[in-house]
Amino acid sequence: MADKEQSTETLTAASQPNNPLSRKLNKLLDTRLDNDKDMLEALKSLSTFFTGNNLRSRRSLRSDIERKSLAINEEFVQSFAEVNKQLESIYKDVHGMSECCQDMTSRLKASKEQTRDLISQTTKLQAESQKLHMKSQVVDAFLAKFQLKPHEVKVLRGTKDGSLHPDFFTALTRVKQIHNDCKVLLRTNHQTAGLEIMESMALHQESAYERLYRWAQNECRMLSGESPDVNNQLCDAMLALKDRPVLFRYTLDEFGTARRTAIVRGFIDALTKGGPGGTPRPIELHSHDPLRYVGDMLAWLHQAIASEREHIQALLKKCPAEEIEKQTVDILGHITEGVCRALKVRVEQVLVSEPGSVELYKLANLLQFYCSTIGEIMKTNSGALLSTLNELHTLGVKMFYNSLHCHASKQMEKVEFPPPDLGATSALNKTLRLLQDILSSHDNSVVPLDTRREHFSQILGCMMDPLIQMCSVSASHLSTVDMATYMVNCIYLIQSTLALYEFTDQRLEMLQAQVEAHIDTLVSEQASFVLNQSGLAYLFGTVQQHQPKQGPLSAIQGMDPATVKTAMTKFDSYLSSPDVYVMPQCALLLSTKLRESVKKRAVGLLCQAYQQMYTAILGPDNKYPNPNALVPRTPDQVVKLLS
Amino acid sequence: MATGPYNYSYIFKYIIIGDMGVGKSCLLHQFTEKKFMADCPHTIGVEFGTRIIEVAGQKIKLQIWDTAGQERFRAVTRSYYRGAAGALMVYDITRRSTYNHLSSWLTDARNLTNPNTVIFLIGNKSDLEAQRDVTYEEAKQFAEENGLMFLECSAKTGENVEDAFLDTAKKIFQNIQDGSLDLNAAESGVQHKPTSPRNALNTDQAQNKEGCGC
Ligand SMILES: Nc1nc2c(ncn2[C@@H]2O[C@H](COP(=O)(O)OP(=O)(O)O)[C@@H](O)[C@H]2O)c(=O)[nH]1
Ligand SMILES: [Mg+2]
Repeated sequence: MADKEQSTETLTAASQPNNPLSRKLNKLLDTRLDNDKDMLEALKSLSTFFTGNNLRSRRSLRSDIERKSLAINEEFVQSFAEVNKQLESIYKDVHGMSECCQDMTSRLKASKEQTRDLISQTTKLQAESQKLHMKSQVVDAFLAKFQLKPHEVKVLRGTKDGSLHPDFFTALTRVKQIHNDCKVLLRTNHQTAGLEIMESMALHQESAYERLYRWAQNECRMLSGESPDVNNQLCDAMLALKDRPVLFRYTLDEFGTARRTAIVRGFIDALTKGGPGGTPRPIELHSHDPLRYVGDMLAWLHQAIASEREHIQALLKKCPAEEIEKQTVDILGHITEGVCRALKVRVEQVLVSEPGSVELYKLANLLQFYCSTIGEIMKTNSGALLSTLNELHTLGVKMFYNSLHCHASKQMEKVEFPPPDLGATSALNKTLRLLQDILSSHDNSVVPLDTRREHFSQILGCMMDPLIQMCSVSASHLSTVDMATYMVNCIYLIQSTLALYEFTDQRLEMLQAQVEAHIDTLVSEQASFVLNQSGLAYLFGTVQQHQPKQGPLSAIQGMDPATVKTAMTKFDSYLSSPDVYVMPQCALLLSTKLRESVKKRAVGLLCQAYQQMYTAILGPDNKYPNPNALVPRTPDQVVKLLS
Repeated sequence: MATGPYNYSYIFKYIIIGDMGVGKSCLLHQFTEKKFMADCPHTIGVEFGTRIIEVAGQKIKLQIWDTAGQERFRAVTRSYYRGAAGALMVYDITRRSTYNHLSSWLTDARNLTNPNTVIFLIGNKSDLEAQRDVTYEEAKQFAEENGLMFLECSAKTGENVEDAFLDTAKKIFQNIQDGSLDLNAAESGVQHKPTSPRNALNTDQAQNKEGCGC
């Protein structure tokens, strides 16, 4: 049927069908038998039963075919009946299966219905488990960061015997770290946890510090031997305690107290026992020698302080350098406080035992030297030891000046008369010896130059004025010439003493002025002495006072040519032997130089006087007859004769 | 290095004596600073320097007291002999007078120190050979007669300076070990700092090597 249609269409397509015949013809022509498989099959099958081409057969062909077709259809039906039966059985089976499936489906459905809850529950649980797992990890990490390990807690709690576990400081650092990290927690929304952990860490920390403090305090307490064993753990402890300034301070105080005990014991041992087998000998063995006794004590302290410095620095070696410096000054002050009493009592005893001005002066200097030396090594000017030293120095200075004043007032109490030779009294000699001793030790003084200069003017101020005063008092009953001679001698001796020492120029100058005054007196006295001795005194006095209105000199009483002549002759005998006309006091002057100077200046005065008288007598107004015979020598000749 | 200077097991005290100008302060400076200080100011009274040395594996801190040679300080410096474990007695090989004064210094040293004090004679300024005024032989003989250790040194070139200080320390250490120096006695000039078992010596040394400061 399909073929037919197809051929029809083909034909239609080939040419326009004008008449049925041509169409049929065309169709036949177009038929390609060898290509038409159906046709070939049909023909093949026809060949099987269409065996003879005859009419009959041709006539019956159709029926044959139809019969054949019927038979085939019957066979087909039969076959199909079988198939149908089979199908029906299959159907029944499939149906059964379907029913079965349906049943299963519905059962599945039911069970699915039933498990849905379970599944969702499981999923939920699984999710939750995952979440929890994560949380657990976080918590573990959190705990590792924010909690102490049991070992650490144990280490911090310490042992029964109070010793410190080697890991103590690591654990303490952990606690500190955790406590610090909690501050981060407080900034997040975990404030409760933060606060709680912080609190617990604070507790751990406090008890750990407390334990550390007790331990360190105990260790320090034991450091009272001569050479303390400052171990490394203690150094670590000091560094850790620095975070607790109060505990740090207390521990250092404990250390200071232990060292104070040690240094006091050492000091007393050095004073009373001395070295091994008594060498070096105990310091107190030299208490009869004030300077050595006090010097040994102070030197011992100086060296002990240097060592204590080392010990403190060993204790604080792990702390920052500026902390060490700061603390060292303080603790050293504390440590050295203990020896103050022992030192003070002994030095005071020496100072008040009247060891003499020179010793007192040396002691005062020694104390001053140590005020600065010990101040230098302690790096401070305050503190008990330094104020003790300063007090002792002040006392030494006071006792020294006291002794000088004492000496002076003793001298003034019973002033000696000058000896007949108008030389030094024994009091003057004694004082000069003292001055010499003081100034000699002053030259050797261990204090700096400036200080020495200062001392000097003070010492001289203290000694000179009373000394001069004593001389004046002692001279008060003497005649003018004796007094001048005596004073010149005294001052000359003082000058000779002072001249040997430094810083005395100013004093020497002042003394020189006093000498000059007395020398002036002596010069004019010597000149008058010669005028008196040669009888020219009256003549010269009159010439000096003569006024022209009194008339000529020769007319005045006692000025007549004969008297003048006599006097001038006497004067001439002086000129021939001037040494006979020297005041006896001049010979008593101790200084040859001054003796000569008095003589020379007196001669000068005489020459001047002669010049005046010579001029007056030669003057025509004075009406001397033949005046050249009265004064045969010219002033120049006089000068020449006397020089 | 902050920890360095504090790790030691002994402190030995030394005193340096001799006439003014023989080079005591220069020797001390050369030993502690390894430098020559040509224009060293005059010593006023007493000064001290320190240095850590090692003898027989032990760290020893030397505390060296330098005294003024001037006569006016003699009263002060005499007081420093007491605590000395070692005394370095110095003269100047170019100035015979400083050598002639040795017997007076030695008398002081013998009278004022303890019997175990090690006395070391140093002839300083050995670099000035041309100006030599004291022969090595006579000084050596003087040292032997008086039982002193002896070396010629130069604070200027540093020659023998280390040896003088170290040999003194070795001798003191030897005295400690053979028991002739009693550490427990006061004023022996030696202070012992026993290292406790809790912190063994090697911790100290390790820190030293690292040079860790804190
Ligand atoms: N050439 C030379 N000069 C030295 C030596 N040691 C010290 N001096 C010099 O000697 C002088 C005195 O030295 P100093 O140490 O002050 O002597 P002190 O008084 O004993 O302390 C200084 O001018 C130094 O420069 C040395 O070994 N060689
Ligand atoms: Mg010097």
